[in-house]
Amino acid sequence: MATIAHPGDHGHGGDHGHDDHGPLHHQFEDIEQQNECYIVGMWTFLVTEVMFFGAFFLMYTVYRMYYQLDFYRAHEHLNIPLGAVNTMILLMSSFFMVMAVQGAQLHNRKQVIGNLGLVQLCAMGFLTIKFFEYKEKFADHLVPGVNFTQNAAELHGANLNHAQIYYGLYFGMTGLHAVHILVGMLVIGALGAMWIKRDKLVTEDYVPTELIGLYWHFVDLVWIFLFPLMYLLPKPH
Amino acid sequence: MSAIGIPAPVEEHPHDTRTNYLNVAHTLKSWLTTGDHKRIAILYLISISTFFFLGASFAGMIRLELMSPAGVILESETYNKVFTAHGVVMVFLFLVPGIPAIMGNFILPIMIGARDLAFPRLNLLSWYLYMIGGGFIVASFVGGGIDTGWTFYTPYSSMYSNGQVGLALIGIFIAGFSSITTGINFIVTVHKMRAPGMTWFRLPLFVWSMYATSVVIVLGTPVVAITLLLVLLERVFHLPFFSPELGGDPVLFQHMFWFYSHPAVYIMVLPAFGIISELISNFSRKRIFGYHFVAFSSLAIAGLGFLVWGHHMFVSSQSMYEGLVFSLLSFLVAVPSAIKIFNWTLTLYKGNIRLQSPMLYALGFLGLFTIGGLTGLFLASAGTDVHLTATYFVVAHFHYVMVGGSLLAFLGGLHYWWPKMTGRMFADGPAKVSALLVFIGFNVTFFPQFIVGWLGMPRRYHYYYFAPEYQVYNVMSTLGATVLALGLIMPLFYLTHSLFSGARAAANPWGAHGLEWETTSPPPTTNFYETPIVQDEVYDFDPVAEYEQQRATSEIFDPGHPHRRIDKEGESKPGIAGADHSSSRAADGQKEDR
Amino acid sequence: MAKTPLQAAQSTDHGYQHHVVPTWKYVATLLALTVLMLLTVGAYYVDIPAVGPISGTVMNQTVALIIACTKTALVVFIFMGVWWGTKLQKLWALTGFVWFFLLGLILIDYPMRAYESVQGWEGERGKAGHGQDGSALPRVVTPSSQDQPVAPDEINLRPRG
Repeated sequence: MATIAHPGDHGHGGDHGHDDHGPLHHQFEDIEQQNECYIVGMWTFLVTEVMFFGAFFLMYTVYRMYYQLDFYRAHEHLNIPLGAVNTMILLMSSFFMVMAVQGAQLHNRKQVIGNLGLVQLCAMGFLTIKFFEYKEKFADHLVPGVNFTQNAAELHGANLNHAQIYYGLYFGMTGLHAVHILVGMLVIGALGAMWIKRDKLVTEDYVPTELIGLYWHFVDLVWIFLFPLMYLLPKPH
Repeated sequence: MSAIGIPAPVEEHPHDTRTNYLNVAHTLKSWLTTGDHKRIAILYLISISTFFFLGASFAGMIRLELMSPAGVILESETYNKVFTAHGVVMVFLFLVPGIPAIMGNFILPIMIGARDLAFPRLNLLSWYLYMIGGGFIVASFVGGGIDTGWTFYTPYSSMYSNGQVGLALIGIFIAGFSSITTGINFIVTVHKMRAPGMTWFRLPLFVWSMYATSVVIVLGTPVVAITLLLVLLERVFHLPFFSPELGGDPVLFQHMFWFYSHPAVYIMVLPAFGIISELISNFSRKRIFGYHFVAFSSLAIAGLGFLVWGHHMFVSSQSMYEGLVFSLLSFLVAVPSAIKIFNWTLTLYKGNIRLQSPMLYALGFLGLFTIGGLTGLFLASAGTDVHLTATYFVVAHFHYVMVGGSLLAFLGGLHYWWPKMTGRMFADGPAKVSALLVFIGFNVTFFPQFIVGWLGMPRRYHYYYFAPEYQVYNVMSTLGATVLALGLIMPLFYLTHSLFSGARAAANPWGAHGLEWETTSPPPTTNFYETPIVQDEVYDFDPVAEYEQQRATSEIFDPGHPHRRIDKEGESKPGIAGADHSSSRAADGQKEDR
Repeated sequence: MAKTPLQAAQSTDHGYQHHVVPTWKYVATLLALTVLMLLTVGAYYVDIPAVGPISGTVMNQTVALIIACTKTALVVFIFMGVWWGTKLQKLWALTGFVWFFLLGLILIDYPMRAYESVQGWEGERGKAGHGQDGSALPRVVTPSSQDQPVAPDEINLRPRG
């Protein structure tokens, strides 16, 4: 292939009148390319996460198809109001997250820090409620394994084996989701710390904040599906 | 005499003393904290080669054991552990990362004219994840081994096996994330970091296949990650997902496992296809036949590959009608691969073929992958599969495509890009001998396995005293394995030797085309001293037109340097102004004979 | 259309940048999401009657899933900014969900097991022609809890010795 090399050409076109970007990494030509790469990269990662949770949802669908009545009976032990509160908490946290990203776009440091703090509070609240829900399940012998309840009456007559599958899926899916929330909290904590310390990486360019926002919205999305599928099972006729 | 001679690999000019990526820093820390994709590729080369020889030693044990109808050196349970170890190491630690992590990491950014991958630190993380995953897997072997087979079928793996399944699953989970990060990196890099003028259809076909591979990695690996995580949860916390006693479905595991593991074999083979495209076109000095077909067939394989997982489950209580559908789709997925084989063969036609060692590997690939692919059709046809499944026929089939295909392409690519990566030229004589030994040894090892599989020898059995007639084939197979082992060990010696005493390589020792050959060997840390601007497609060979132009102008081309000519005194000089045909062709970007 | 690096280098606008969404849009989206959530909880307590051959259960489930998908669309397009994003972003957002449905193809296996008519492939429970096979999954789709709950000593939860 014929190529002609241009010495010293780094493709910096256009003006950079406003100081909008943080450090530009050496492999990128300009900040637009860097930002586009980061956003596309984060979306690609989210696609992998969709496939990751997706397989779990698939397994849930298979067993739900076959054990509808047992799943329905077993699910009645779940606390729907608490689940609804958790859903509301996560929706609000998503809202606070976009407000934080907007703050980053507008270089409003207080808006970012305040909203990130609210996101953390919401996440903490979510995990606290989850903790109490789990505690209740442990106490009621609803954890699959040797200690699973042998009393079918407690589960409204559900087949105990199938109920164990239901609870296995419940703990597996909500547990995996909770791990993602935890990781999100750590990352948002780090992001918040960087904003507090006025680290240039995050103050000059809004994209790092946006990337974490994308992850957080994804975590919210998973719960948007988990809530109806785990808590709001319709009565089989 | 033909003016298009074999280029001299030795540099004609004083050794380039500018710093390159190898000598820019010498400390261990600089290697272990590097962001340079080339250094990471070398780190991968060392670790992947080590795991390869580990897996190969397990294979050696298998072949020794199978020499006699009653077990020779291993007990049944140990044999189970050995073939599982062979499978796990070869699949997850060699074949899946192999070409993408080494050649992809090294060459892909250079091929598209970028300074590095999009996310260098993520790249380094992927190497560390690979090492940690590999560490867990080796720990599982050291801690007692796993006897479930690399396929970890439930409920044996999730409830009954007494081996170190947990450790192995954690290791594979982590190695899977190493793969995913590499895939993310490649996708973003190819989309966003091509040099000016490098449009999609000017990309080398290696880049197309790496892109297709990365798409498969990103879409498929998370599924196996969660599946293995579920097996782990079932094992450790007794969460019932696949246990039949509680109403779970073990076949669901198979569905989810093969949903990834079939595309996984395309992860293993698509990069090999990419390398073969490069080798065939450059060593026949001819434009690849049907560039668009080859490019799109990579994407077709990536997509269709997700629809055929059921052909691993024809006898797993899957409905016969479903088997029918999967059988049909499996036949269809063979079509894009066949298109590639036809295109490569037609590239060879009327090309100026040079039989240096990379080309020997590529030619070996053409034959062996064809055999492997065609035998796959016997297995895709549900009726014959009922008889051939779980026999040595299957073993022979996948070794033909994996070893005869992927491994040969890996070795070919390693030899082809070795001068670029290390700046040294290896001796081609031993390399050719080694290629020949690998080819012969491989065929003697695995062809008898087709026959003995058809005769009914089951796989994963270490004794066959009930059928002593299998012994002759097994002994032949072991004999071939010895020759194959010799052929595979030889590169360790002459390649290492070249590092110390090899001739210093020129920028373009093979006379090939591509952006990677326009920079020094080894390249500088930022890959190019000046940003390249691409004006024409990559496979810019045209021997007939070149020859005719030569005769017309009595210029002699210097094949090692596309922009230079050899004048009457035999010296290589920059092309004569006005008669510099390659750049004038580039300027108008037209070709009469396209 | 995403620009090549050369075009991006020569452009004077800012490519992928700032589309600052006004706060009221975010608040409106949050309100919509809240309403949808309350709707989905409410729908749970309402027994939607059967529509033709589709049972009430399926109707309820469909309503719940439609609401969940609407919420997803709101979050993806507005909170995640895909509405104002590049074509590549839109493609990626679509691909993830499309590919997830590919996983759903696995579900075809289960109803298909009923159509096993190969002699000898039926399990102990089955009789030829009745779609019973030896797979671990029970054939019945109707409520399975007609049978009594299993007595404690029959549940074999720790098969490993």
